[in-house]
Amino acid sequence: MTSRPEYYTPQPYDPYAEEEQQGGWFNSDGYLPRRPQGHEVRQDYDAPQGYQQVPQGYHQVPQGYDTPQDHGVAQGHPVPQGYDTPQGYHQVPQEYDTPQDYGIAQGHPVPQGYDIPEGYGYDPGAHAYQQPDGQPAYPGQTAEEEPAAPAEPGYHVPETPEVGWDMAASRRRAWVSRAVLLCVLAVQAVLSLRLANTAFQDEALYLAAGHAELQHLLHGTPLPIDYAAYFSGSPQLYPVLAAAVDDVLGLTGARLLSLAFMLGTTGLLYSFTRRLFNERAALAGAALFAVVQSTVVMGYFATYDAAAVFLLALATWIVVRTDRAPVAAVLLAVPVAVLAVGVKYAAGLYLPTIVVLALLTGWPHQGRKAVLRMLLLALGIGAVLGAGMYGTDLMDGVRQTTTNRDHGSDSTALLLQRSGEWGGLMFLTAVGGAVSYVRRSRMNESPAAQRLGNPGWRWRALLGLVLCGTALLAPAYQIHLGTVVSLFKHVGFGLLFAAPMAGVGVTRLIGAHFRYPQLGIMLWTATLCLGISQADWRFGVWPDSSKMIQVVDSHVDREGHYLASTPEVPVYYLRDKTTHRQWQGVFALEYTDKKGTYHQGDEAYRAALRDGEFDLIVLDGLTNPRVDAVVVDAVKGNPHYRLLADLPFRNSSGTGHYRIWTKTS
Amino acid sequence: MLKERFRMAGAALACALAGVLALGGCSLLGDDSGGSPESGGGAPRSSASPQDIPYDVTPLIKPAKKYYGAAVPGAPISMKNIDVYTARTGKQPNLIEYYAAWGDGFDATGVRNAWAEGALTLMSWEPFDTSLADIAAGRSDAYLKEYATAVRRLNLPVVMDFADEFNGHWEKWGTHHATPAQYVAAWRHIHQTFVDVGATNVIWAWAPNIVNPVKNVRLQPYYPGDAYVDWIGLVGYFTIGQDNAFDSVFGPTRDEIRTFTKKPMLLLETAAMPGERRRADVRNLFAGVAADDDMLGFIWFDYKKRADWRLEASPLALTEFKRLAADDRFGFDVRKPS
Repeated sequence: MTSRPEYYTPQPYDPYAEEEQQGGWFNSDGYLPRRPQGHEVRQDYDAPQGYQQVPQGYHQVPQGYDTPQDHGVAQGHPVPQGYDTPQGYHQVPQEYDTPQDYGIAQGHPVPQGYDIPEGYGYDPGAHAYQQPDGQPAYPGQTAEEEPAAPAEPGYHVPETPEVGWDMAASRRRAWVSRAVLLCVLAVQAVLSLRLANTAFQDEALYLAAGHAELQHLLHGTPLPIDYAAYFSGSPQLYPVLAAAVDDVLGLTGARLLSLAFMLGTTGLLYSFTRRLFNERAALAGAALFAVVQSTVVMGYFATYDAAAVFLLALATWIVVRTDRAPVAAVLLAVPVAVLAVGVKYAAGLYLPTIVVLALLTGWPHQGRKAVLRMLLLALGIGAVLGAGMYGTDLMDGVRQTTTNRDHGSDSTALLLQRSGEWGGLMFLTAVGGAVSYVRRSRMNESPAAQRLGNPGWRWRALLGLVLCGTALLAPAYQIHLGTVVSLFKHVGFGLLFAAPMAGVGVTRLIGAHFRYPQLGIMLWTATLCLGISQADWRFGVWPDSSKMIQVVDSHVDREGHYLASTPEVPVYYLRDKTTHRQWQGVFALEYTDKKGTYHQGDEAYRAALRDGEFDLIVLDGLTNPRVDAVVVDAVKGNPHYRLLADLPFRNSSGTGHYRIWTKTS
Repeated sequence: MLKERFRMAGAALACALAGVLALGGCSLLGDDSGGSPESGGGAPRSSASPQDIPYDVTPLIKPAKKYYGAAVPGAPISMKNIDVYTARTGKQPNLIEYYAAWGDGFDATGVRNAWAEGALTLMSWEPFDTSLADIAAGRSDAYLKEYATAVRRLNLPVVMDFADEFNGHWEKWGTHHATPAQYVAAWRHIHQTFVDVGATNVIWAWAPNIVNPVKNVRLQPYYPGDAYVDWIGLVGYFTIGQDNAFDSVFGPTRDEIRTFTKKPMLLLETAAMPGERRRADVRNLFAGVAADDDMLGFIWFDYKKRADWRLEASPLALTEFKRLAADDRFGFDVRKPS
């Protein structure tokens, strides 16, 4: 470290030159509003009208006010626009004030009249800032001595660096940053691990399918159901992996696999945000991403979402990391991106973002070659995806679950409201960050940062637009489909891309030199609270099925035919006793009765129950209440069935019952 | 330095304040999203202890072995007489019948006592003071719901028969006082109430008197339906003056019932008149029950009421009873039915 200069030597540079038009929290620079230095300005400044017009509580750094250059401008204005003396800062103007008070003028080693205001760090860079135009830059050139010929001083002023710290990456900074990241990951892990419930129907379905696929792969056991035809991801990828883990460690193991994926995602997010911006934005983005509902829940949810979001993050990371590498290096992202789509088809929605990122990240370093980079990535992904679709029979599944999915009846207002609740805060932070970033690119307090070649505003705007816009893709698509199903997870996919900008937003909110840490803390805490309460709610949506399984366990065998609201759950838990083929759900039934009459829809349920077709009926009253009512009505007074158990449960929306009937004759 | 320290303290204070504020908001949010306040933050925890699971009575509906039952005074609230009966017959009864009036509270203690000794309790519920029509119309619903809830809460299997011997004119709910439709409606209403509160631990026994003394009363109109009944419980005695062959006593009733249901049968109340023939009656009883796979067992009515039905009244018959009861097919621990 360089030693602190013995004399205060303001430098002529202007570290915040770009900030002249800044205003609002996102543009806070961490410094107190500075008072114009000239006397003329001061008169204007004192004009009471100017202050009184400022609304109370408006404590922001004003637009239009700021840099020393403004002084000249300010002279032209009767009142500095919007210039406000924040309440509680009243002492500031008195403390450092006029050039006369400025200790340097008297040639004192330490400026006596100069005082460091409250909350104002001693910072040579900042002090230089208060140097008025025309102020002597060196101690020897004080106002009094100016006319005299410069005499050789009897002492030597050592060469001083313009800044007391180094903005370049250092080992220490890397470790501090990693330690903070580790804390973020620990918080994320704790939030995920505190969730508890039995397998959700989707988890049960994928795990059961995975077990069947595993048996099929290893022993050639025929699949009970053509999973590929209706899965929204390849049944041979994530389900097989999760089932293999489930075999050894059970459902908790499969969920821990998801946790590993989500922690990996946060780590990658940190890494590529650091590359795009800096550690601070990366940590802030990761900290926000780690505590939103979708991350917390997906991190303990044995579905392919965690794997898919991890692969998307990995593909993005590769694209960002190869920004300076030879163009072909971007092709490394191709298999990962394609795998992400294979794991979950909906991940394809985010590939255009990654492709555009290939251009944007390459542009500042490679110029036009970045276009080639983008094209190469797009063609690579397109070719492999095309080959994959041609070579497999997954297209049906893609059509049924992703592209031609049945349109639901959820209203746009509801979807917007839910999207807002689940990702709104982080999205707004990202938008704030993007806007602020477009207006000011500088990401470091160090004056040295000023000399870095910052990308132009068009590039910054495009980056902000792409990253923030990606967060809107899933809500927009789900509004188009009119379904809220899985929205919370898809919001999380988008937030992964918005997270870097949200990180920028938080750093801008906090300001340079951690001027307003409380704002960042408040934002993060609010996100955390929302995340915790929403994740708890989410994990309590479905009933705990352990009692139901316990009751049903002794009533199933290899032969029976069973009807259940969520057949996937008993299929998964009772996979040693039954197969998927034996279980019927409550969404569609085709039934040909004993007289050969074909029935479908509700009538099929009535006819089947009249005939005593099912050996066991398990209703939860939640999954499809309409069909549940049809079934309950058909079972009432039905000589074939006896109520076996009524199991009350408590879930996020209150209470409910499992009702289980067994066939007695 | 001092200022720096102040600054640090200020920042720490701000952190704490933000935390407190945010946590305060947190609980509000929790309430908001959770529906009911208690469910706000808590995801259900998976811990299903056996007591939480409704008792599965299905293995008891058609067990492999026969029920060896007894109705003795004072039981099961006091198991003293059961112990005496056990000592006398050499086998512990596994089905104990007692009688309760409509309006009585549920005797959970008795059921527990019996259960503790491996016996199921059969409660004969008799509506002396309330008409079947009133019960069907829901005029006793408050009582009924409370009763059903108590039964559910007990979570041990209980056999219930309601208004037995309904086909007899001698009961207050019999043919002179109620119509078959009223009887069926009352039965279904009671059954539905139990189902609605989730009291699935009840085995429902429909208990007509044997048709021999009331041949003109058809049983089918009184039958609530297979959806509402688990057991057919016959009330019939070996009496002097009537043929004592098993089929003569129970055959006509059994045959008539088999025309409309295949539910398993139990001799819900039986005994033989004291006297020389009792020994033969007992032999016929055991043989008849053992021979019929659909016959679940019997309950010996060990009371002195109108006649002395107690086993001790005929030592020879008691000896025979004890010998036949030793058959392994009779009796089992209801706590381990299979």
